Amino acid sequence: MRSIWHTRRMASLTAVAALGLCTLAACSGGDGGTVAGKVTITWTTWGDPQELTAFKAFDTQFMKTHPTINVVFDPVADYNDYTAKLLIELSSHTAPDVFYVGDDQIGKFVSTGQLEPLNAILASSKQISASLFAPGLFGAAVSKGTYYGVPTDCNPDAFWYDKTALKAAGITQDPATLAAEGKWTIPVFLAMVDKLHAHGLNGAAFWNYWSTPYSWISQYGGQVYNSAGQFVLPSDPVSVHALQVMAQYFQDKSFLVADTLPSNQPDTMFLQHKLGFYVQGRYTISTIDQGGDPGNYDVAPWPSASGKITASGVATAYLAINKSTQHMSAAATFLQAYTDAQGQTLRLAGGGNAVPSIRGTSADSVVYGYPAHASSLLTMRSLGFEDFAPEAAVPGLPVAMAAIYLNLYQGKVSMSAALSQLTALAAKES
Amino acid sequence: MAKRPSQPSWRRRDRLWGYFFVAPQTVGMAVFVLLPFCVGLVLSFTNWDGLGPVHWIGLANFTTELRDPLFFKAIENTLLIALITVPVGLTLAVIAATALEHVRGRSVYLTFLFLPVVTSSIAVSLIWEQLLQQQGPISTVIAKVFRISPPDWLNNPDLILIAVCAVIIWSSLGLNVVIFLAGLKTIPPNVIEAARVDGAGPVRVFWRIKLPLLSPVMFFSTVVAVISSFQTFDIVYVLTANGGPDNGARTMVYHIYDLGFLENEFGLSSAAAVILFVMTLLVTGVQFALQGRFVHYER
Repeated sequence: MRSIWHTRRMASLTAVAALGLCTLAACSGGDGGTVAGKVTITWTTWGDPQELTAFKAFDTQFMKTHPTINVVFDPVADYNDYTAKLLIELSSHTAPDVFYVGDDQIGKFVSTGQLEPLNAILASSKQISASLFAPGLFGAAVSKGTYYGVPTDCNPDAFWYDKTALKAAGITQDPATLAAEGKWTIPVFLAMVDKLHAHGLNGAAFWNYWSTPYSWISQYGGQVYNSAGQFVLPSDPVSVHALQVMAQYFQDKSFLVADTLPSNQPDTMFLQHKLGFYVQGRYTISTIDQGGDPGNYDVAPWPSASGKITASGVATAYLAINKSTQHMSAAATFLQAYTDAQGQTLRLAGGGNAVPSIRGTSADSVVYGYPAHASSLLTMRSLGFEDFAPEAAVPGLPVAMAAIYLNLYQGKVSMSAALSQLTALAAKES
Repeated sequence: MAKRPSQPSWRRRDRLWGYFFVAPQTVGMAVFVLLPFCVGLVLSFTNWDGLGPVHWIGLANFTTELRDPLFFKAIENTLLIALITVPVGLTLAVIAATALEHVRGRSVYLTFLFLPVVTSSIAVSLIWEQLLQQQGPISTVIAKVFRISPPDWLNNPDLILIAVCAVIIWSSLGLNVVIFLAGLKTIPPNVIEAARVDGAGPVRVFWRIKLPLLSPVMFFSTVVAVISSFQTFDIVYVLTANGGPDNGARTMVYHIYDLGFLENEFGLSSAAAVILFVMTLLVTGVQFALQGRFVHYER
């Protein structure tokens, strides 16, 4: 009897354990699937609480207008965490149906066949036809004529300036007005920086990423990569001269690398009228709002050799569809609604921190109003460029290149050594 | 040849029950420890970006790592963290445990000391991130007391590692104090009493009786602390951006994370992980080899 009791007890325990395992397996997810006549799709991105609130509001609106599609939003706060999570999900075939891809990751996802080609969707849709988007924004999201991602919105790197700081340095000209007149040239800008520096103020603060050197070189008419995707900066005398000028100003401390300052210090300096120019995206408005004197600030494009607005860097992210999605139609509907003029307006209106990636539509209205010359952001978007595909397509390469540029700015390496290192790195990684 | 006597049925049943109860742990270890370890070992000989095909490249990842200055920077920082946090942390813990041994209301002090141990390391790091700002309270006090410009702990490559070490020591102090207190409790009171009768004062009792008898506990804590310091990641991840200015706080585990999840170089990342494993194994082996000289077991 005792042994039978033991066997039964063991069988019961085994059954409980099996049930537990089954429950765990059931909890481990699975695809969105179809629930009560609705198709459920999952999408993901990264963002701060304010951005995530806007995304959730979009989801709510989308589900109202598309009652047959249920949207599950699975965001991650930090970009690095997001990228790591997405990579793991893609390699384990559990990635969401639709997801954001950073400009430094999309090349890799395209080359490894993770993303659904979007040409058919873009061709069939009047709302998100490829021609509506600024062509320079697609960057590494387009490969051999095939589109794999749609720019969700963008942020042109722009020269935000503090009128009080300029006035304190004895500068009477207004950069935005000069730009509108085609007189916003590099010598004019550098003269302003010299004056600011001479008055004990900081000239301009830049972030250390690809846009800073490449936008600057672009203003001189230099070339970084040629049409064959080769890194030609070191062999282009115009580019080398441009980089030399920039490095000199960084080494003189007339230009500052914002990343190397204590966090919030660039913002604080800008609000305390100790910094003339702050080169970054439209999110600067939220910083300016903290100062309580919005009329004191305005925005101008990059100063160029000719004085006319010239192409400069525009940061963007892409919305892409998982090639393994089981709900292609619903995913395509979501992507279209998210990136069309109406979707971008919904996400960016009311304190939005970016510029619409779609051109010449009602969405542009979200930019107007502030600052006075905000329309220059739209021009910069239309002319601008994303990071060059040969660089953007290699994970870690933009960061490694930026580290070499930083050493150059800080005078830790000579120009010739920096160029050699950049050439070697570009050759090795490509 | 004599026939092996058959086991009684109750012993067989007991053994089956034993297997049954260790099965979940064994499966868990196999799936979550052994399998990833084996996969990591195999990946260290491959070139894999996390998505594309896997290519066998032999020892190339190891040679690449051994030529990478960042790898050596990571090793240097990791060893420095171990060299600073282990002796300083354990010394402070021994002092605190000895001081608390006969204190009234000890549990209150222990609760406060232990709070950082049970608090999420991310939360702890986020709080320290604010405290260590140049405009934060620590730098402000230092600037006022020493009449210097406030130190910028998180953005100065010479200070960032000190800041990381301070946070590690602070957050692990409670656990070590509890372990040492438990160790002090195991010392027979009659030994201490005998020493006192022989005229030994508190300092001599500490150096000659308590410390030698505490050496097995200290050995255990040292081994754990060294391994733990070799695995420093979360504090660096939260306190610094990309391993700190000039990679001043890049540790081995951060280097492994960076290669794998930021640069998608899973082969290189795995090779670095294997090297860290071997390093940990060697250091722990040396500690065990030396324990005979420094550790006194009561017989």
